[in-house]
Amino acid sequence: MMAQVDLTVEICGMSGDGTIAAGGILNEAMSRAGLFVLAFDSYPAEIRGFGRCVTHSRVGDREMRALSDRTHVLISLDDKESQSRIPFLAREAVVFFDSKPPSYVEEGASIAAHVEPDARLFGMPFSELAAAASGSTRGRNLTALGGFAAVFGIPSRTFHEVIEKKFKAKGEKVLDANLKSFDAGHRFALERLKVEQIPPIPPLVKGGREDLPLVKGGREDLPLEKAGMGEPVYPPLEKGGREDFLEEAEEKILISGNEAVVRGALDAGLALYFGYPITPATPIMESLAKALPDRGGRVVQMEDEIASIGAVLGSFFAGKRAMTATSGPGFALMTELITHGVMSETPAVIINAQRGGPATGLPSKTEQSDLHAAVFGGPGDSARIVIAPTDVRECYDFTLMSFQLAERYQTPVIVLTDFFLNNRVEKVEIPGASEARRANWNLYPEESAKGRYERYSITESGISPRAIPGAEGFLFSATGLEHTEKGRPDYSSDIHSKMTEKRHRKIRGALKDLPEPVEWSSGGTMDVGVIAWGSTFGSALEAVLSGQKEGMQVGALKITSLFPYHAEAIRAFMKRCKEILIPELNYEGQLANLIGHLHAKDVVRLNRTTGMPMSPTLIYERIKSLI
Amino acid sequence: MKTSGKVLAAQVERIRDSKRFEIRSENLPTWCPGCGYFGIHQGLNNAIQRLGLPHHQIVIVSGIGCAGRYPFFSHTYGLHTVHGRALPVSTGVKLANPELTVFAVGGDGDGLGIGGGHLPHISRRNVDVNYLLFDNSIYGLTKGQPSPSSPVGFKTKASPQGSVDAPLNATLLALSYGASFVARLFAGDPDGITDALVQGIRHKGFSFFHLYTSCVTFDKAFKTWEHLKEWVHPLPENHDSSNLKQAIHEAMDDPFSLGIVYKRME
Repeated sequence: MMAQVDLTVEICGMSGDGTIAAGGILNEAMSRAGLFVLAFDSYPAEIRGFGRCVTHSRVGDREMRALSDRTHVLISLDDKESQSRIPFLAREAVVFFDSKPPSYVEEGASIAAHVEPDARLFGMPFSELAAAASGSTRGRNLTALGGFAAVFGIPSRTFHEVIEKKFKAKGEKVLDANLKSFDAGHRFALERLKVEQIPPIPPLVKGGREDLPLVKGGREDLPLEKAGMGEPVYPPLEKGGREDFLEEAEEKILISGNEAVVRGALDAGLALYFGYPITPATPIMESLAKALPDRGGRVVQMEDEIASIGAVLGSFFAGKRAMTATSGPGFALMTELITHGVMSETPAVIINAQRGGPATGLPSKTEQSDLHAAVFGGPGDSARIVIAPTDVRECYDFTLMSFQLAERYQTPVIVLTDFFLNNRVEKVEIPGASEARRANWNLYPEESAKGRYERYSITESGISPRAIPGAEGFLFSATGLEHTEKGRPDYSSDIHSKMTEKRHRKIRGALKDLPEPVEWSSGGTMDVGVIAWGSTFGSALEAVLSGQKEGMQVGALKITSLFPYHAEAIRAFMKRCKEILIPELNYEGQLANLIGHLHAKDVVRLNRTTGMPMSPTLIYERIKSLI
Repeated sequence: MKTSGKVLAAQVERIRDSKRFEIRSENLPTWCPGCGYFGIHQGLNNAIQRLGLPHHQIVIVSGIGCAGRYPFFSHTYGLHTVHGRALPVSTGVKLANPELTVFAVGGDGDGLGIGGGHLPHISRRNVDVNYLLFDNSIYGLTKGQPSPSSPVGFKTKASPQGSVDAPLNATLLALSYGASFVARLFAGDPDGITDALVQGIRHKGFSFFHLYTSCVTFDKAFKTWEHLKEWVHPLPENHDSSNLKQAIHEAMDDPFSLGIVYKRME
């Protein structure tokens, strides 16, 4: 039996407690220690004082596809807020809390008084230790991490490296204070926590206690001076497996969905980025603002989202790759110009990082409720390409791919992500783009067409050669009005019928270049087939794999091309399933609305609008109820 | 357009023959006879000729309205966008290929109404785009409603009791937004337009051309040719176009003095 690590760690505090920062450090350290990480933060839109922050880190020895419903370790930076996490604690969960919290904390608020009796409590005076070590209580989040590192046997050096990387830019003093705060927690935990209190986390390999630390050389190396000096060593997963694992793990990096989008755009040779700040897409603009100028590109923060998509269209019209990223409210503003891109057959790349809606909605919560807007939004019959990644790696792949699709099919391409996908970090491999994946897919007019060029010539594929301003002999005007093959405005019935058909034929033809549905099943007929998109797919797959392990006849189908979509492949999958279940983070079931008609009977919808990622357990339970 | 095929062909032939109209496309303007836009068209065509700009290096970006149709009537690259968005689209075109000479054209509704939020930003970014704002104080393509530059009391079908909103002063706005080149011109004086355009196109940075013009079909009361001819006159001889404060005073004190109101010194 393969050793398994699958540990979920949550840090909870008020905004301002340094919760998110501590989560980031934890993730990076666990990744450096050789583990896989999938992590997601939940925080209020306000900077300080108005809400609860929770970081959620799932670490393990294999790639993970969804968050876990159960928390094994809770680090409480604010006991009152952390009480909200108690219902999610696994049996015998480990809880780190401030045993001497600041005086303003109400009596009886200590989490120790509220958790179930099976919980393993690790009270540490975070504030006092941080203040004694660094002169300020500000580093108490790091003190808490020091405790975690000691108990779970992660070398403090691993954490030191991460802390140094994070705080180096803020000056020696800040860095020193943070390192000292961490060490204070680490030392306290090593000295004070009794061996009996070590939590019964599942043993990593047969044999038990001495293999308990996630990383060998951590906790065992008492006294303190030695702790953390050993190389990170991971217990062998199976015979001979260790070296391969480490080697493989080293090629992978810890990266967020947003950062993966940025890498995809950079690898595609992005020339210009136009955007407007909006949660959760802003980090894309900020990251490109740093990276793009070095590559001869430019980031322009525009006056609004309409201007952003306008400039993207202008840039593609003039022959350069450009992109914008936004969320629901900004996307709504863009829809008119997106349909102009459809009508004038001008490429554009738009990232829509969905958040809760409608209107301003829930800026920092996740939802999948912009599917209809992405596929149908805007005036008229405006078919465009919509693709949706399901994990961080696909955020990279699909962004990279979107530029070529936009060029070949001369259309806006919408990459539909969601808050959970944009903001979570995953340890993945980002391979870099080959020449073929970077290649320009524009179709230019032939020299022979000079002087008699027709920009919108009706062709079998619907794709007409597109001249770029600067080319001599191919003058034309693009327009959002209906037009003739030459591009001249024309409202006759004949022209509108022909041109509408041409544009739709072109988009239908794009299907051959779009990622096909992927099936997880043992083939044959199934009791339940689960079809999912976006970040919900990961949860669906976890649920389906659990079901399969228990002998259920279930399968999962991943759909990433939302428009156009592979109707035949989807129908063929549906035909082999008695029931089709479509879980989505929206009220009505927008994917179910889109593809439900392909199934012989009504599809079963599972909808949640909690603002949180879809729970794998919920899908699992629903599958079970359908069998 | 009801013009018969033969007449049209003859016109096209004439246009092709004439060196002077080389920049015009074979699509003849659809503006009403007597429209001020013909004068602007002539002024811009002549400026392009005078500078000898290669047509394939020119992009004319427009919004919606009678002025929005402009690209179809020019033998250049054109991009007829949606209502009010010519400025951000032209920003994208220019940044993508700085070799191109980029014009943005649109009316007062397009540029001061629906698109009014873009003028401040292209001005402060100083993008090298030449923006021609055709100001006739009326929505012509939708058949006569008051525009953001219509005077108080302006009567239309949509304002039977007379417009109640105060008019915007486009020249003053452009100056206060930081436009680096601002000219005020009259559609009845194509040569004046050409002279100013030649300077503005050469100017490295955002150039704003406020063009007074007349809608002969829907405005019989305000910006008629008779009124405009009476109102307009050259800038004072001692006007210092390098002095922003003086330019702003001029724009406030006299809305009808024509010429290069402001040009920022490099």
